[in-house]
Amino acid sequence: MAEAIGGADGANEPASVPPTYAAVYCLAPTLAQLFTDPDVGINLAGLIHGEQAFEWPVPVRPGDVVDAEAEIVNVEEKRGMTFVTLAVEGKRTTDGAVVCRGRSMMIVRGAPA
Amino acid sequence: MSAPAVSSLAVGDALGPLERRVTQEQISAYAEASGDFNPIHTDDEFARSVGLPGTIAHGLLEMGILAEAVSRWAGGSDRVAGLECRFSKPLLAGDTITCTGKVVAVDTAAGNATLEVEASSDRGERVLTNGRASVRLAS
Repeated sequence: MAEAIGGADGANEPASVPPTYAAVYCLAPTLAQLFTDPDVGINLAGLIHGEQAFEWPVPVRPGDVVDAEAEIVNVEEKRGMTFVTLAVEGKRTTDGAVVCRGRSMMIVRGAPA
Repeated sequence: MSAPAVSSLAVGDALGPLERRVTQEQISAYAEASGDFNPIHTDDEFARSVGLPGTIAHGLLEMGILAEAVSRWAGGSDRVAGLECRFSKPLLAGDTITCTGKVVAVDTAAGNATLEVEASSDRGERVLTNGRASVRLAS
């Protein structure tokens, strides 16, 4: 899913993008697909963000359009909880350069909704 | 913001502390900005019903404050090449978070430095642990 990065409003255009704005251009468009899919049946009330890692191989700039893709890389059941690890990659649409790599570990508690 | 020259850095150099009070208004605004509307962040009664002491900040909001600490130290957001942490304990609405760190490696040839970073709350809990940041610096 492609997300345009805002801020291009003339004189006050920022020179750089806050690092964790990756939550908007990388995580939100991909993770929402998983967590709101009724077939997956994740109970949002029991969902916790456990760990997060980001890498920015090249700086993200205001005006970049980023296409983000995620893959579930590990699912583990422990002590009645499910640990889901996702790998996310965001590519700049103009040249395909990877601008952000993310790894999210989410903890799902309780029974499916 | 000016970046520290990589040649001037030494292992053990300190980052921070950067202190921020996180209010319910800010958490609710973060829900809007990030699209994460999980009610554990915005509805106190709901948060208590699932066993939390009250509404809690989004992990990524805390990580955003940690990223601010690293960005300020590095001399700009675009110098942050990597950031990771574990969300060990919840940060409650109204808590103050304090981010600290120290340099653990300097690569003068590559022009980058690695820092261990963490954050604690004013309730004495270590809220962000296993933190690591990597920054691009001028040689």
